[in-house]
Amino acid sequence: MTRRLLPTTVVGSYPKPKWLNHLIGEYAKGKISDEIMEQAYQDSIKAVVKEHELAGVDILWDGEMRREEMTSYFAEHIDGFEIYGDVRVWGNNYYKKPAIVSRVGYRDELTIPEYSSLRTITTNEIKVPITGAYTIVDWSFNEFYPRKEDAVYALAEVINEDLRGLVKAGAGYIQIDDPAIPTHPDEIEIAKNSLEIATKGINAYLGIHICYGDYSKIYPEVLEFPVDQLDFELANKNFKDIEIFKEYEFTKDIGFGCLDVHTRRIESVEEIKTNIRKAFQLVEPEKIYVDPDCGLKLLPQGIAFEKLRNMCQAARELREELV
Amino acid sequence: MEIIPTTIGSYPRPDWFKEYLKRVEGLQKEGMNEIEKGEYKKALAEILNEQKNAGIKLLTDGQLVWQNMLCHLCTRIKGFEMSGLIRYFDNNTYYLMPRATTKLERRGDIIAEEFRLAHEIQPEIKAVISCFTLVELSKDEFYKNKKEFIMDMAKIMNQEVRKLVENGAEYIQIDEPSLLYAGKEDLEITREAIEVIHRGVEAKFFLATYFRDAEAIFPEILDFPVDVLGLDFVEGYEKNLELLREYRVTKEIQAGIVDGRNTKIEGRDDIKERINAILGIIDSDVLYVSPNTGLEFLPYQKASEKLRTMCDSVI
Repeated sequence: MTRRLLPTTVVGSYPKPKWLNHLIGEYAKGKISDEIMEQAYQDSIKAVVKEHELAGVDILWDGEMRREEMTSYFAEHIDGFEIYGDVRVWGNNYYKKPAIVSRVGYRDELTIPEYSSLRTITTNEIKVPITGAYTIVDWSFNEFYPRKEDAVYALAEVINEDLRGLVKAGAGYIQIDDPAIPTHPDEIEIAKNSLEIATKGINAYLGIHICYGDYSKIYPEVLEFPVDQLDFELANKNFKDIEIFKEYEFTKDIGFGCLDVHTRRIESVEEIKTNIRKAFQLVEPEKIYVDPDCGLKLLPQGIAFEKLRNMCQAARELREELV
Repeated sequence: MEIIPTTIGSYPRPDWFKEYLKRVEGLQKEGMNEIEKGEYKKALAEILNEQKNAGIKLLTDGQLVWQNMLCHLCTRIKGFEMSGLIRYFDNNTYYLMPRATTKLERRGDIIAEEFRLAHEIQPEIKAVISCFTLVELSKDEFYKNKKEFIMDMAKIMNQEVRKLVENGAEYIQIDEPSLLYAGKEDLEITREAIEVIHRGVEAKFFLATYFRDAEAIFPEILDFPVDVLGLDFVEGYEKNLELLREYRVTKEIQAGIVDGRNTKIEGRDDIKERINAILGIIDSDVLYVSPNTGLEFLPYQKASEKLRTMCDSVI
């Protein structure tokens, strides 16, 4: 695939419009119809896509308007899962932690309808994020499989089936979100094997997104993963991780997280340019994708937009300097 | 032989109470105020009732207003400030990392008031505190000497335990999961710290460990001034049995025999087998049985199901 230098992209989620959250609440109470809810999702995605285009993002996604959360959204559509209720993650934040109660199996299309519907409303290139089998299993209860890896590999087959359909539908760029990998460095082989299974026969540009966690525990092993690009959160830790990556030749493309999504401070164009230049210490500019550290959904919408716009402006200016 | 079912500490919040806390505290709050006592007592009564109905004989207050795991205790001690979110052991749960920035001092009750309210509803309540683990999961920006840090924490916990006993507490559990990852030097300091916590207090002391086997604390733990030793027989089943066989443990045992972190409900025969294996080794008249960890890792309805199955298996 030929691309402009330093293409800008997003990791996935974007703040949901207030009206959409309101409607999701009403829908849960049974107060509005499926048809109206579906229309609301589609309209919110149009709004998000327009914002991404205005900000100047080259490679888009739909802001994950339909996804409430990155584990349960998939679990709800895959055979073998049951969701009993909420479990706390931190403070007063909970997530619907799924339980694997029987053999997992492919039931509903997962990312394909999201992709196909987005394809009709933008001409930009699209990146499709999907949560990795390893992370879904790590963030679920396992009541069925004797060993964790059995569950991971079975689920990786399910993911593979969806990705095959996705590529058939026309998708050319897929990102596997696997933030749980650095939390159990001793299981990195399981994670790698799961990616081998999930990406088997998938003819597309493949990335993996890993955020939080201690990268020194998974590097250089992640260089062996069967993907084209490694996407990391770097701004939040003030780019210190670059030192870790410098120890071995960075043989993949890098998704260079250069916006801190945990602060409402809007980084200036100059500051972001300085930060993106740090990636040049690792790889040639041709191998760099510019994106935020992670999904933007926890930020107020206006701030998310300003951050993205500055990031895209920074990439454009650098691109001109490089050519 | 008497088998006493008990809980370790945390309990999932009832759904309405989660919503209530979100409303009054937002997503993350550091202290406890604004919570209306009436609402808290209602939630507390609910989860005590759940434990009681399941067959638990020695209950805990469920830590319903703890903003995170054990480290919540630090929010009520002068000298700590809270910083970024950190993973709690290998769980997918996070706590605000406490930073000790000045000398620690008791500011007021830590859990004594919560204990009193629970004790009003149910007499048999075990109060849960911690010491070494709080230091271990915090960042020291003041002491520069770990022993001093731990001993100051121990003095504060001693004051707290005195207050707890004044409020009617007869059972005190010191939670020390970090001890299972500690070196010998820290073990010795912790032994001294627990002596300090114990000083001048008439109560039955439990030391709870979980998340892995207890190899790291043997044999030193045998000299710790506690009455009951809590071990995780889910994560460390074989190893902990082996340790009990190898060392003559004269303390009573609190055995974590069902998995507090998995919704899978254990079979009664499996539970019985585990209990019998432990009974075959120890020679005390009492065995406490419990989930291996607090129950907040489970959805609400699964917590009581777990407890009921466990209690039914020991009858």
